[in-house]
Amino acid sequence: MNSLEFNYHSPKTLDEAINILNKCDNPALLAGGTDVLVEIKKGLRQADDLVSIKNLNELKIIKQKQNEIVIGSSVTHNEVKNSSLIKEKLFALSEAASNIGTDQVRNTATIGGNICTGASCCDMAPVLLAYNSELEILSSTEKRMIHIKDFFLAHKKTSINKGEILTKIIIHISDDQTGVSFLKFGLRDAASISVASVSVMIKFSDKQCIDSRIVIGAVAPTPILCSKASKLLCDFKLTDFSNENILSKVGESAAEDSLPIDDIRGSADYRRKLVKVLTQRAIKIAFERAKYI
Amino acid sequence: MKHLINLNVNGTEYEVAVKSGTSLLNLLRDQCMLTGTKKGCELGDCGVCTVLLNGKAVNSCLILAVEAEGQNILTIEGMATGENLHPIQRAFVEKGAIQCGFCTPGMILRTKSFLDENPNPNKEEIKEALSGNLCRCTGYTKIIEAVETANDYLKGKKPKVIEYQPQKSAMDFTVVGKRLPKLDAPDKATGRAQYTDDIVLPNMIYGKLLLSSVPHARIKSINTEKAKSLPGVKVILTGADVTDISYGTSPPRYDEFVLAKDKVRFVGDIVAAVAAIDEETCYKALKLIEVEYEELPTVFDPIEAMKDGAPRLFDDKYENNINTRVDHHFGDIEKGFEEADLIKEAKFVGNRTIQNPMEPHVAIAEWDRHGRVTLYTSTQVVHYVHHQLSRILDLPLGNIRVIMTNCGGGFGAKAATNPLEILSILLSKKIGCPVKMRFNREEMYLYGRGRHKQYIEMKIGVKNDGTITAVKQKAILEGGAYSSFGIVSTYYAGSMLPTLYIIPNYKYDGYRVNTNLPPCGAMRGHGTPHPRFAFESLLSMIADDIGMDHIDIRLKNAMMPETRTCNDLDIHSCELKACLKVVREKSGWDKKKGKLPKGRGIGIGCGGFVSGAGYPIYRSNFPHSNAIIKVEEDGSKAVLFIGDADIGQGSDTVLAQAAAEAMGITLDKMSVVSADSDITPLGFGAYSSRVTLMGGNASKMAGEEIKKQVIKAAAKKLNVHEEKLRAKNNKLFDISNEENFIPWSEAAKLYFSENGPLIGKGHYSPPKGLGGTYKGAAIGTSPAFSFSASVCEVKVDMETGKVKVLNFWDAHDCGTAINPMAVEGQVEGAIVMGMSEALLEEEVFDSNGKMLNADLHNYLIATSAETPDIDSTIVDSYEPEGPFGAKEVGEGATLPILGAIANAVADAIGVRIFELPITPEKVLKAIKEKSN
Repeated sequence: MNSLEFNYHSPKTLDEAINILNKCDNPALLAGGTDVLVEIKKGLRQADDLVSIKNLNELKIIKQKQNEIVIGSSVTHNEVKNSSLIKEKLFALSEAASNIGTDQVRNTATIGGNICTGASCCDMAPVLLAYNSELEILSSTEKRMIHIKDFFLAHKKTSINKGEILTKIIIHISDDQTGVSFLKFGLRDAASISVASVSVMIKFSDKQCIDSRIVIGAVAPTPILCSKASKLLCDFKLTDFSNENILSKVGESAAEDSLPIDDIRGSADYRRKLVKVLTQRAIKIAFERAKYI
Repeated sequence: MKHLINLNVNGTEYEVAVKSGTSLLNLLRDQCMLTGTKKGCELGDCGVCTVLLNGKAVNSCLILAVEAEGQNILTIEGMATGENLHPIQRAFVEKGAIQCGFCTPGMILRTKSFLDENPNPNKEEIKEALSGNLCRCTGYTKIIEAVETANDYLKGKKPKVIEYQPQKSAMDFTVVGKRLPKLDAPDKATGRAQYTDDIVLPNMIYGKLLLSSVPHARIKSINTEKAKSLPGVKVILTGADVTDISYGTSPPRYDEFVLAKDKVRFVGDIVAAVAAIDEETCYKALKLIEVEYEELPTVFDPIEAMKDGAPRLFDDKYENNINTRVDHHFGDIEKGFEEADLIKEAKFVGNRTIQNPMEPHVAIAEWDRHGRVTLYTSTQVVHYVHHQLSRILDLPLGNIRVIMTNCGGGFGAKAATNPLEILSILLSKKIGCPVKMRFNREEMYLYGRGRHKQYIEMKIGVKNDGTITAVKQKAILEGGAYSSFGIVSTYYAGSMLPTLYIIPNYKYDGYRVNTNLPPCGAMRGHGTPHPRFAFESLLSMIADDIGMDHIDIRLKNAMMPETRTCNDLDIHSCELKACLKVVREKSGWDKKKGKLPKGRGIGIGCGGFVSGAGYPIYRSNFPHSNAIIKVEEDGSKAVLFIGDADIGQGSDTVLAQAAAEAMGITLDKMSVVSADSDITPLGFGAYSSRVTLMGGNASKMAGEEIKKQVIKAAAKKLNVHEEKLRAKNNKLFDISNEENFIPWSEAAKLYFSENGPLIGKGHYSPPKGLGGTYKGAAIGTSPAFSFSASVCEVKVDMETGKVKVLNFWDAHDCGTAINPMAVEGQVEGAIVMGMSEALLEEEVFDSNGKMLNADLHNYLIATSAETPDIDSTIVDSYEPEGPFGAKEVGEGATLPILGAIANAVADAIGVRIFELPITPEKVLKAIKEKSN
């Protein structure tokens, strides 16, 4: 175990945070700390300066702005889980938050930290992709928006550059005829890491599926938007949602898109099988949630 | 960089200077001296460091102290109001929700934040809510009950009173057989209980170990110069600085050095020890020690290791790396199989698991200036540590004092002398000030001593009516690099099989094989759970083949009282049949077996264990347990001094109950001092499930001696013949006229006034000559054996393979339960630990012998969320050799679990898993293979 040795900075504003980030040679952002402090203790990461953004009020917001819900990056998982706005408008997101870690971890760890760590097993990523989220990223020179599908580059590698801070997650809310689901498979009933996860979005108009997204997690270095499977789903007739054969084809297609590895939690082959099953189940849940009639 | 911060802890304002990297946990423990907040993993996985930050539960190990500036913190010390326990604490104490107590502070605080958020929780919500607080002792069952009771208290509701039927053998007792809260529970509920790591001595420094980074190598050189020059480093020891006396657990296999002399044999082998002003400096110094290794060929698989030409771990011993070989044959195996109508054999593979008590190992050593050393340690076995230190240090026992503090769980992990105990003493001697040494969680895994992974070939022959005619077992135990307890484990793996069923002919071939992995040792059930899993699985398969019910085949062969087994073990009390009948009825077996829908299954397993090993680990003629009772001069309290160790199982309370019953006083008149080699008489400690029977007999005997003396004083005062007096409920009365009495305390005072100290002593040795005369006959012997049967119901997700254990119905023959609530706690803990082992646990290594899951993030143990509903029954039984008829429960309760789950899964999916753990992946593979 490594001792925690770094300079600690607690900027009062975002600008100040970015200034410090730019001044330091080897900084790291500290939000909840449940990843970064563990990584430093385990010697997987070094940082000379930790810049805390935990208490920046502008990053603690959960609000609705017209058709958008804006979530600050320092909002904790339990704040996501318990937000009545999120429960009402983005139920699958609150579900995903409620299945991350333990209560203790969820009281500390943040939504921004979860995706910025960029672990392949990240649970927020699939559901944020299914919701077609956009991310606001701030640097000393610009405020840029990026679609979440372009955010994850590899395991623990994201498109955040040095000196940048993820500030907001912006989700466009659809109408009632959209259903979103999230399912994860862990080896334990609680506090477990995803062996595979799936998020599905289905949008209806006049009893017709008009848009869909199937996103799989923990089965590749990054979350994967399964375009072929999404397309198959989009072409569904209403009766197809209860047709196991047809559902199974979509599940298989999603599994084909996965690039899993063998690790201590499961073999690549098993993960593919899980993706298929979880996809079928997640489609059914999303379908039930879409008030398509 | 230091920061001056202000924070409010339990209503008190603190102004403290902290380093940037100081965790809130360390701030609370080291700077605020609030040691009720415990340190379990330091990585946010175990929850024992839970505190409330502005009312919300957080892991204080992952909160920087500097970020607590201006915040309100509630720790366990802030829960009680003056003398009054908080209702949650009270519920935990009363419901038996506290065993070792190490998870308790965090568990109570999480319960508080949960009930604040959700005042009307259902059971499932409670299970989910506590899932971030790991507990290895209780199986969460009593904790969940305590949360329900606490909620009633908080709402001013009276909790439901449950009527319990006492056992027949406990009907006439006033203290024995009662569901009494543990004596130490209030201290554990309030954070007052002191564990070794909570002790800070003046001028104390810290020590850490340098572990080998390679699996097998010759040490060419060690350069400590850079490390020594690091400011704050006080002393560094390497193999050249320490004794050449080797040590270990079993005398015939003392094969470890205090520090590696010339070779390292696994990743984690101990190369050097550093002492410095703080742990941080130690960690830095370890990085500066340069070790040059000449790497040697490695072997990790025991089957490979046994082959000719495989790399050898020891050049001078253990040919073919075979560290222990057992070749036992009882009866006539060939004749036995000839008599069989059906012979079935199968191969089974166990898993490499580890105890994972919530408290890591810790030791503090302090030398005085008269050449005497005191060691505080979290151990199960004060005496064996004492003995081993005497050997290694070449000092008489009298110059060493070993004090066991509160111990945060053991399960075998702390059943032998560990390197912290030795090296803290050596470092302390060298530097002249007290030294504290502590494993972190990763070091616990690397130190090892967990369960041997066994490769088992089991063969059983039966008649058409199910009668067993012969059993043959071959077991290869993957032993890791050193012997530890392994010689005993290998014998146990064979010797315990014939204790549950009548087996007329039995052959056992055991091999323990060294590999370049952490050494395996003794873990709950010591060597026997994997063979039991294999046997129970195969017996159910055979029942299917001959068309017999799984419980019927067990009843057919069940062990009977007063039987000598084929391997010369003497069974006295035995109620296995009663256990089987109880679980058959309670589980609704006959309605369910074979009738549940696909994906649902029910299975049975049986178990049992020794009530203490018949012989000590090293040869001696000392009684195994010894007790002294000293009564205060005014007779207000009797203090039991007992060498045996309460590691959370509650032995202090159970032994006090036995002593109190013998003396005729109530438990509130008792206090206990245990496991301190200067103060308490020798006791072999907490291993082989020995304490209730052996410590209980010694305590009872000491109590009886006291009783004799107070009766003498009372007889004189009442002018009644001694034989006509009884002692009960703090009174001494005339049996022909109960109104003619004097208070017990008065009699004690009279005795003291006339005779001086009122002292009783007791001792217990197992009957002489236990067991047969063949080599290894001693292992498996015991004064008494426990028996149990468990039925398990599972639900299997047929598409993912995930197993959910829904229910356990368990019946246990532990003789007279001295404290039924403590017995249930053992059973529930054993069920959840067994379930965790059966479904989740396995150590995994990479191709270089480095463990890949040496933490609680990747080595998963069961949480409250997995906890099934448990119904446990203590059957009527009386063991003549035990105190008031009592025998063991702690380990025997583990034994049926693996087999019961395996059988239930097989019932649910129609195909059997032969290899532990029963992971979803294996289950799904089996389902798919069957359907193809």
